[in-house]
Amino acid sequence: MNAGTTESALSLVKVDKRFPGVHALKDVSIEVRRGEVIGLVGENGAGKSTLMKILSGVYQPDSGRIEIAGQPTRFENAADANRKGIGMVFQEQSLLTNLTVGENIYLGNEAQFTRYGIVDWKALYAAASRQLAKVQVDVDPRMRADDLDFATRQMVELAKALTLEEHASDHLVILLDEPTSVLERAEIDVLFARVRSLKTRASFIFVSHRLDEVLELSDRIYVMKDGAVVADLVAADADITTLHHLMVGRSLQAEYYREPLQKAFQEEIVLEVDGLSLGSAYKNISFKLHAGEILGIAGVIGSGREELARTLAGFAPHGGGKLHVANREVHLMSPAEAVDIGIGYIPRERRVEGLVLFLPVAANITLADLENLTRHGLIDAREERRLATSWVDRLKIRTPSINTLCFNLSGGNQQKVVLAKWLNAKARILILDHPTRGLDVGAKEEVYELVRAVTTEGVAVILTSDTLEETIGLSHSLLVMRDGEITYRAEANPGHKPSQIDLIGHMV
Amino acid sequence: MQNIFARLGSDKLRQWLPLATLVILVAVVGVMQPVFLEPSTLLQLASDTAVLFILATGVTFVIMLGGIDLSIQSMASLASVIVALTVARFGYGAFVLAIAVGALAGLLSGLAHVRLKVPSFIATLAMGGVLFSTALVTSKERSITLGDVDRSYQTWVTGTVFGVPNVIIIGLIVLAIAHTLQAHTRFGRYSAAIGAGEPAAYASGVKVDRQKVFAYVLSASFAALAGVILAGRLASGSPTLAAELLLPSIAAVVVGGTAITGGVGSIWRTLVGALIISVVRIGMTFLGVNIFAQNIVFGAVLIAAVAITIDRSKIPIVK
Repeated sequence: MNAGTTESALSLVKVDKRFPGVHALKDVSIEVRRGEVIGLVGENGAGKSTLMKILSGVYQPDSGRIEIAGQPTRFENAADANRKGIGMVFQEQSLLTNLTVGENIYLGNEAQFTRYGIVDWKALYAAASRQLAKVQVDVDPRMRADDLDFATRQMVELAKALTLEEHASDHLVILLDEPTSVLERAEIDVLFARVRSLKTRASFIFVSHRLDEVLELSDRIYVMKDGAVVADLVAADADITTLHHLMVGRSLQAEYYREPLQKAFQEEIVLEVDGLSLGSAYKNISFKLHAGEILGIAGVIGSGREELARTLAGFAPHGGGKLHVANREVHLMSPAEAVDIGIGYIPRERRVEGLVLFLPVAANITLADLENLTRHGLIDAREERRLATSWVDRLKIRTPSINTLCFNLSGGNQQKVVLAKWLNAKARILILDHPTRGLDVGAKEEVYELVRAVTTEGVAVILTSDTLEETIGLSHSLLVMRDGEITYRAEANPGHKPSQIDLIGHMV
Repeated sequence: MQNIFARLGSDKLRQWLPLATLVILVAVVGVMQPVFLEPSTLLQLASDTAVLFILATGVTFVIMLGGIDLSIQSMASLASVIVALTVARFGYGAFVLAIAVGALAGLLSGLAHVRLKVPSFIATLAMGGVLFSTALVTSKERSITLGDVDRSYQTWVTGTVFGVPNVIIIGLIVLAIAHTLQAHTRFGRYSAAIGAGEPAAYASGVKVDRQKVFAYVLSASFAALAGVILAGRLASGSPTLAAELLLPSIAAVVVGGTAITGGVGSIWRTLVGALIISVVRIGMTFLGVNIFAQNIVFGAVLIAAVAITIDRSKIPIVK
């Protein structure tokens, strides 16, 4: 692997940062050499985001210093960091979808094309085309950003970051913050290829939860834990187990997905779909879901599995076919109807659809089942406290109190509050839509354990997940969808789980 | 300037800021004019606050779930006209009619908002125009003074019990009902959930549209009640009777510490806010500020209150 030169592009020297109550960065030193891709990994809360914010000028370090090409410098703010050659490509894409690609690329930097307040669009679009050529994306810069797919938008972001070359005095360093989280494998390959080909122009810092990708793309990897750098590894010499061990201080167990806890499901059919269809999203979907069963649905974006999950949660009423829940035919017109018949939805957008962030833990836990807490029209506050406290205990939700706003909880504990909400509402069917997205390894394991525990009690689960590994590891039964149809079905009993390769062939 | 607001906006301080402001204002006015602290003046202050408080209480329900109701002053004025025109014929039924019209207007605003997906400020701005014109047309653009017979039906507003004006008691009853609704019922909880995170409330099975419509019905009904009481106190009905009350009402809600963006607030806060507005108003009278200039102050107070109470860490961008 090309480990770049030894000439330093950007380094942090003994950087320290504190927030009230948190020592976010402890004496952190990292070095990025010219033409190098640096991987940065760590669990949530390890300090990765704080470090990225210091590198991008959003925060200033309390002590320590930043050096560019060996010269001490200071970033007053994000724009200043930009000027000094630090570019960013975010996980939440920052393109404005109502503007054209060219307008996005030069947003805030139109001055070079402006005379007497009038923008020379022709020049701007010509320049934008040159930027797009750098990342080998062949789109018309006059297209609106929302006409592009996510993968192309990510490339446009990269092209935008590369415009810094025009005015930055030195070598570029581009921060890639979880750039792959919404991309499919083939798209990730393209992104990685581009990043590699751009190493002559820039260095990269790549932050991701996906350790395999970090290993694949990076030259060197910094591992963070509890605000400190605990290891600096050459990627070629590292593997997932080592990284995982360094991140969490324990090794990845063979029983990661709690397969020994996977019990045979029951005879009782709790949900049955027969020839279900919805517009162009999916068609002719049939399957049975049993009490205690975890049914994993695999498929790429556009396979229709997302829409199918939304239908079962009440967000997107089906067009044709039949949906039976507990032996009654239903046509779910709203989540309220789904909740009424015992379906709970754990959304991928945990902070938007999962929780009311600015309500307390207790109010979130009881939100889906306030009917049963209401006596003579009034909410029984004492009973609410009792219930909330008991769920916090049973699910080991780490929160200062049941009155703490969910906003202040970690991702894993937020997800447990969502789960508690549905258990409290006695949901019989849970739709898990990417339930571990954005969670660190330890929190994921806790979620797996809870999912196993509730299915043992007879709750049925429909799972659409970020990774095939997780889908296969957790599920009793697997469906693969492609272009809106089921292309493959498989059993997934412990010890006899299908391999990822078995499924991928039916996905694409 | 921004720094001052940021510091005043820190969580713990913000919670007690409205009450502290009220106490300080009362003390300041009391020192300037000792007569202000006499029981009779305080009772007068409470009576004068009742109408504002009832208007503000209604709109609190709407603001809690993230909307706004700009039709309340027109609704209150229309209610006063309805009472003035029909009390001779219907007796106490006139009050019921006025509040029923309020409920209907709120229902229509609410339906326009949730069914036609019209932003609440547009739906209620339009409804306010409709109500104002209705009041103008039905009153033939004049103020209708209540006759002696008519006034006999107003004693529930104008009378006293053991020296306490009835209007204060009505205000306390409204406080009790509204507080119970807001703090102890599913409607109140769902409103807070919708205001703080509508998608999550919807995904949790909350019937969001129904809660919203109910909030608009409450807001307009309370506005109508305020108009009825105002008609009783002023012994007249007029299409402009409550014309200067929209700004102070919304200012009262926000000054009390209910977030204009929804999700956080209470009826108690609105009570504190309404009292602050009343004390400021009386203070200005003592200082000899022209009564017509008072909304200049309330406008400034509203801007300052919103600037202080918006939590920048939660809501970095406002439009």
